Amino acid sequence: MRLRLTGGAPRRGVVMRVMRVMRVMLAMLVILIAGVPRALVAEDRMTVRGNYYREASTRVLAPVVYVEKDVPDERFTVGAEYLLDAVTSASIGAGAAAVTGGDFLFTEYRHETTLRLSSKLRNWSLGGYFRYSTESDWISRSFGLSVARELFNRAGTLSLSYSGNFDSVNKIFAGRVLPWTSTGTSNLQQVNYLGVGYTHALHRRLLGGLLFEGIVATGPQDNPYRQVRDGLPESHPLLRRRGAISGFLRWAVPRTPLVLEPRYRLYGDDWGIAAHGLDLRAHVRFLKRVVLRGRYRFYSQSGAYFWAEDGYYPATAIYRTADPKMTRFHSHTPGAELTIELDGLARLRGLKWLRGAWVQATYNHVLVSKNYRFGDARLGSLAFSVPF
Amino acid sequence: MSPWPMSTARSSLLALGAALALAAAACATVKPSEREVLSRPEMNPASEGLEEQFQSHVESAREGGFGGHGAAGGGCGCG
Repeated sequence: MRLRLTGGAPRRGVVMRVMRVMRVMLAMLVILIAGVPRALVAEDRMTVRGNYYREASTRVLAPVVYVEKDVPDERFTVGAEYLLDAVTSASIGAGAAAVTGGDFLFTEYRHETTLRLSSKLRNWSLGGYFRYSTESDWISRSFGLSVARELFNRAGTLSLSYSGNFDSVNKIFAGRVLPWTSTGTSNLQQVNYLGVGYTHALHRRLLGGLLFEGIVATGPQDNPYRQVRDGLPESHPLLRRRGAISGFLRWAVPRTPLVLEPRYRLYGDDWGIAAHGLDLRAHVRFLKRVVLRGRYRFYSQSGAYFWAEDGYYPATAIYRTADPKMTRFHSHTPGAELTIELDGLARLRGLKWLRGAWVQATYNHVLVSKNYRFGDARLGSLAFSVPF
Repeated sequence: MSPWPMSTARSSLLALGAALALAAAACATVKPSEREVLSRPEMNPASEGLEEQFQSHVESAREGGFGGHGAAGGGCGCG
């Protein structure tokens, strides 16, 4: 502008050259933003999910909202999530035996927010998140980083992910929030997770994957409110090392709308717990826009080395627990999920915005062995997801 | 009756065998033109992310074990 005001013939030439350069740069910018091949463009999406959980002494409603937006495409995606855990009737000393006073009613809200960033650049996927969760006696901060690389002409994906949790554990006593250190000196519970996974297209109808996971947790890991039978507080080791290997297959059965998905997981830790998890799923697209998923899961674990079946501990016992998770038990979980894609409704006037949207209903019923104090559980959820 | 389907050692060997079988099978590569079925939504391991998150949360509260719910970027590039 200033060049034009002071114009003359030679300066007019400069202006023209500058304008040409700017036009080229603008064109390049437009190509960069708008000219991205369609395959690269993922959709922006909002998902609302209402989760319901009920067992003998606890009932939880957990609505969650998740929004994901590409800026401007999947080379950079931002996601935000908010979850509310509304525990309408529960015990903070969940699972306490009746002889120690049993469960007492407690109402609590937990707020959790998560910010996610991800990027897809050629064969690489990068991701990261930060999560903050707060409730009356527990504050959790966690972050995670992940990287994945497509291999063998995109037939396989190798992934590596790490996450770290830094939780402040407290105990509410006489109306005051006090740090809970258990047998240690700090109320900081730190958890480091590392996962390495590989997924491969084994056949034109078969996908398979393996995942190796490890966790090291340090700090107080017992419940500050729960007591064993003699009235002493729980006391868990301050260090726990855990590992798991799991695998899955997804097989599209020829000439049917059926996809079968077996999963298996083997788990072990240095508290003496070993566990098997077998999960069999069948996905059936029985109508063009309707998918039904049936599920059966078997889970079995051994008890921790410091678990006492009768709940009594000698005075010399270093570790004590009343946590039902530490016992030997097994469970069976049948479940079903129905997903209806709403693209059909999008043809109607005023409902075009429903293109790519879906609704989903899920129910799982957990049946446990008799010795497991948490008892059977019912899990349900309703979800609605819409692109924008 | 024991709830254990088999001994831990035997299961570990089975898991190791499955890992080796998958590693061996990974040498075979399905061509991009043959991945039509693999690109169906039901074949996408990442399609159940939010539900897996809820399941994982509940399992960690009720069970001594953990994991098996996938890691980031665990799908094949079939989309």
